[in-house]
Amino acid sequence: MKGRNGMSMRNAGLLHPSIEKVVVIEGTHAASYAVKLARVQVIAAYPITPQTSVVEKLSEIVSDGELDAKFIKVESEHSAMACCIGSSISGARAFTATSSQGLALMHELLHWAAGSRLPIVMVNVNRAMAPPWSIYVDHNDSLSQRDTGWLQFYAESNQEVTDTVLQAYRIAETVSLPVMINLDAFVLSHTSEPVALPKQELVDEFLPPRKAPFKVDASDPRAFGALIGPEAYMEMRYKLYQAMEDARRVIREVDRDFAAKFGRSYGGLVEEYMTEDAETVLITSATAVSTARIAVDELRSMGFPVGLMKIRAFRPFPVDEIRELAKRVRKIGVMDRSVSFGATGIIYQETKAVLYNAPDRPAVFGFIAGLGGRDITPETIKEIFSYLLNREEPVSEAVWVGLKTAAADRPEPPFPENSAAMKSSEGV
Amino acid sequence: MTKYNYATVEEMPPLAFSLESTRMIPTGSWRHVRPVYRDKNSPCHVTCPAGEKIPAYFELVRQKKYEEAWYKILEDNPLPGVTGRVCYHPCEGQCNRAGYDGAVAIHNIERFVADRNLQNKKLPAAVESPKSEKVAVIGSGPAGLSCAYQLSRMGYRAVIYESDHEPGGMLRYGIPDYRLPKKILDKEIKDIETLGVEIMVDSRIGGNVAWSELERYDAVFVAVGAARSKKMETPGEELKGVYSGIDFLRELNTGKVPKIGRNVLVVGGGNTAIDAARSAMRLGKRVTVLYRRTRAEMPAVPEEIEEAEKEGVLFQFLVAPVGISGNKGKVSGIELVKMKLGEPDESGRKRPVPVKGSNFSLKADTIISAIGEEPDLAFLPYSFLKKGIRLFVDDDYTTGVPGIFAGGDAATNPNGTVVNAIMAGKEAAISIHEFLGWRSRSNGASHDVVAPEEVNTFYFPHENRVEVPRQTVQKSKSTFSEVNKTLTEEQALTEAERCFTCGTCLHCDVCMTFCPDVAISKDESGEYVIDYDHCKGCGICVEECPRGAMELVPEGARETAEEVKTA
Amino acid sequence: MGQIKYQLPPEEVLAPGHFACPGCGATLTMRYALKALGRKTVAVIPACCWSVIDGPVPYSAAGVPVFHTAFETAASTACGVKAGLDAQGDHETTVLAFAGDGGTFDIGLQALSGAAERNEDIVYICYDNEAYMNTGIQRSSATPFGAWTTTTPTESPKAEKKKNIVEILAAHRVPYIATASVAYPDDMISKIRKAKDIRGFKFIHVFSPCPPGWKFEPEDSIKISRMAIESKVFPLIEIFDGTDYRLSKEPEGIPVHDYIKMQGRFRHLDDEKIGLIQKNVDEEWARLCSKIVPAMQVSHAARDEMKGGRKSSRARGARGTGSAKKKEQSARR
Repeated sequence: MKGRNGMSMRNAGLLHPSIEKVVVIEGTHAASYAVKLARVQVIAAYPITPQTSVVEKLSEIVSDGELDAKFIKVESEHSAMACCIGSSISGARAFTATSSQGLALMHELLHWAAGSRLPIVMVNVNRAMAPPWSIYVDHNDSLSQRDTGWLQFYAESNQEVTDTVLQAYRIAETVSLPVMINLDAFVLSHTSEPVALPKQELVDEFLPPRKAPFKVDASDPRAFGALIGPEAYMEMRYKLYQAMEDARRVIREVDRDFAAKFGRSYGGLVEEYMTEDAETVLITSATAVSTARIAVDELRSMGFPVGLMKIRAFRPFPVDEIRELAKRVRKIGVMDRSVSFGATGIIYQETKAVLYNAPDRPAVFGFIAGLGGRDITPETIKEIFSYLLNREEPVSEAVWVGLKTAAADRPEPPFPENSAAMKSSEGV
Repeated sequence: MTKYNYATVEEMPPLAFSLESTRMIPTGSWRHVRPVYRDKNSPCHVTCPAGEKIPAYFELVRQKKYEEAWYKILEDNPLPGVTGRVCYHPCEGQCNRAGYDGAVAIHNIERFVADRNLQNKKLPAAVESPKSEKVAVIGSGPAGLSCAYQLSRMGYRAVIYESDHEPGGMLRYGIPDYRLPKKILDKEIKDIETLGVEIMVDSRIGGNVAWSELERYDAVFVAVGAARSKKMETPGEELKGVYSGIDFLRELNTGKVPKIGRNVLVVGGGNTAIDAARSAMRLGKRVTVLYRRTRAEMPAVPEEIEEAEKEGVLFQFLVAPVGISGNKGKVSGIELVKMKLGEPDESGRKRPVPVKGSNFSLKADTIISAIGEEPDLAFLPYSFLKKGIRLFVDDDYTTGVPGIFAGGDAATNPNGTVVNAIMAGKEAAISIHEFLGWRSRSNGASHDVVAPEEVNTFYFPHENRVEVPRQTVQKSKSTFSEVNKTLTEEQALTEAERCFTCGTCLHCDVCMTFCPDVAISKDESGEYVIDYDHCKGCGICVEECPRGAMELVPEGARETAEEVKTA
Repeated sequence: MGQIKYQLPPEEVLAPGHFACPGCGATLTMRYALKALGRKTVAVIPACCWSVIDGPVPYSAAGVPVFHTAFETAASTACGVKAGLDAQGDHETTVLAFAGDGGTFDIGLQALSGAAERNEDIVYICYDNEAYMNTGIQRSSATPFGAWTTTTPTESPKAEKKKNIVEILAAHRVPYIATASVAYPDDMISKIRKAKDIRGFKFIHVFSPCPPGWKFEPEDSIKISRMAIESKVFPLIEIFDGTDYRLSKEPEGIPVHDYIKMQGRFRHLDDEKIGLIQKNVDEEWARLCSKIVPAMQVSHAARDEMKGGRKSSRARGARGTGSAKKKEQSARR
């Protein structure tokens, strides 16, 4: 279940002069319209539930002549990415969309795209990996691709999907790296929300035609990606690493520019909610953030100093933002919709990692929730907060929230039973 | 692995792309064998006694440069019209195409070139500067003509003394018209005279011209040939109706018709015997050739024997004359003994041995004895060293008497052929040149000969050898007009195309076409250049060369100017 | 008449100094392909010998832009390049997918099939050296029956027949398929040029011998290629629209034995096994001929016309130019 609309809509309202029209569309179509606005030149895609409506809508858009793009209806996601790579190295703006197994099949070429420094933008509808078959949301598909050199964004709302696709091209083409925009299966992909579509001419100003710094060009023939020896491979990787580092700055700048033009901002790599005076903050991402906003509001109304940090960009990871947060809070909980087997939830893992060398290290708690489409409700979030408020130190690296288990270490029962404890820890 | 030419990561381009061509990479260092262009000899060229540059003039023929082709032949042989008709063409026997789809008709092409230039009198000028020395040549047969011609080309003044009324020696008097029309011979001798060679006819040394007259010359070349028939040494040889082959042909060649009977026996197996037999046929006689060995051992040119057979000449093998019977001083028959073949003799042929008690007789009214010719050396003033019946000469044609050289049939080691005489004349001219204090130019040519397996026959689609146009047998039997005709231009071109041109680069581009290393190119002059910085020595160019004009040499062997030559 | 000669386009696009082994067929294939296609070409090269041959960073031999791509993506990446160029208004540049047999017959087959089915406007050249040569001579589905490779040792050489990739492509009904050989460069170049001018998917299957992989001396590369054609092991054909088969060159029909015996990879085969190969070649040839019959008449007529009444019955060498023109016309009908 998804809560109310994200922060973005509240920021902008639906009357900003940049808006061409407001439509009520599902998340997949929010991606499709952004692709049209971005004047993508080549689309290559292969159907997979629940991504299909992205490409179905795009097929209509291209067929209707609303977008002058080549749409290659390939025979696999692997070929979809190969086509994107090919068109991108030729200098064109390329797009694809996939989900789950399709993303996994692309894995090799995700490396290829990033290693080739190609600004491809891909929408991935987060869906759990099989087996057993599941078509519902979790983030293991995309988070498994974290080391491929792709920027990763997680969208909270359909508006954010549209806006992030537009931002993504600008970012990608600035840092010469590919960008993946993730949206939760069904919860976002198939949920209709009002989306403000900006005016094309403003988008064109924001996102001018791609000028590839290098491409396959018969008038300047070069070979790309040939064999390289140990004496230079590392430097090439370092370049990619640096580009990703640089992307932090670029993401923030682009978000600021975007806000200036369109009146909506997403805070760059993260968005914070009620963290100014919070002692306990939950870090999470995607649609769960909207749900968490409700829980935070409720807990705030009950007097608990809790807050929320939305991980918008997972790659590059918001190191500075989290360290900054750590200076201000006593406890951080991280709710992952993923699990790295043999380790923990993935964002939890990374959050701890960035804090280890930080001067301020609050206690960090890891929660795994919502795998394979298990609903994350305000109650789920409150259960997590309850757990956080009741403990000073984590006793487990991975608390499986809502797990049907007889085991001892499970989140505390929800309020009001433990409200006293919470209040005492809060010191109010 | 090569270095990325940047010191720091900051200087490097954003990703791994190429900055330059692999041309920078000297892959030639991988090579352990090196392809080189090296022209080699064709087997026809090395087999031709006159040393005619057959592949070279064939190429000119293919380009329809018939005059240039003629000049190319003339470098080695002043009588292509003659040899194009009467040469026994050993070149064709060695032709690399023989084992593929039939030897190239080199002989006929030579004749085509000569005949194509029948109206052309513009012989090439002397190739060297005029010299003061004079050389006398005794005899105007092929050896004498060849020697005087070559000397003249070198800038000497050469004077030929000819005892007969007309020049040419055996070419004129020994070869019947149906094989060599007089007008061809006359034309080519005239050409030699045009070049500056002086021919003194009716000048018999030791006869109307004293030997001492030769003392004003700086050198003398004795080329009197072998114009005297050997005796059969058989009882009855003096009978009327017994001719020597030479005398018989001489009479015919001076326009007379010898009075011979209807039933003619010719003794011998050489060209003289066959010429005499075929001539007698043309006089309407019944002719039988008697030979003491078998057909395989006959020294006559096989085609001539075939022609004779077609024309109706009969052959009886393994018989030798033991006596000639007569009636009233005139021949009436011959007694023969049957022979069998024994061990090989010094000539390599099986020695015929008489079969005891096998004597038998044949009737005849004319017997032509053609068992061989010998030189008449009676005119020589000093006692020259001889071997058998011939003047002994060293490999350089010196006789032992300073300044006196000899060659052709009069000297040792002839094979009695026109082309060998031409070779002797040419080589003797070089010896004389050296004797007169000059250094002859070494041509420095390779001694390698292209073997059949070095020819890449893929490049040569099968094509039958040309059919030489001939007069009908019916006509041949009754006339002395030429039996074999000259090839038409179309035929000559087709046939010339069949030539593999062994060992001579024709710039066909096959080497360049198949080089995986893009290491062969052509310079401005159209010559091939091998880029040894990149050639990996795979050897495809050498293997694919249609004509064996390239080879692989071990890397490390110093390359010489010739090696990098350029076809 | 006279000597067979080749008149290739003079421009050398490929540079020397590349990293091919001596006598490499794949390199000649590229050299001819670039001569045929010219500089206005983008080459997409998946993992294969050519990933190495083109040269390490920062060098390149090809003389045209090269994008090195993943093993199974020659066709799909090329489609992307083509679409990208089209989208940017460049309809002139030829996009060439240049892959080995492994990247074509095996791992790249899906992408190849996809591109063929979509009739993408690219030229796909498979240089077939009949095994994974770059990785060290492992068997592929292009490896012929009986051949040794490092994964089919002589004790148990490859027991299966070579995959018929051309038939697979023909089943896609693409506008143009041709087979070619490095031993017949003029034929190859004319086919690749034809491919360049035809819109839609073009597949050229090139017989590209590998001296180290097949175990023969590098100088014999051309000879062996020629024998493969003349023994009918690798017929030179064209297929228009997947149905219209044309024979480019009548093979002489030399015994397969002669071809087999040139190569160390077949050294372990006894006469019985070679007999099996001959039988298979004969059967495949008969099968091909049954499809090719009407076209053969055309090509005979064209050849006779071209020969101008030449007596020789053995037409050696690639002499398809005359008939090629006719075919081109029919291709555009």
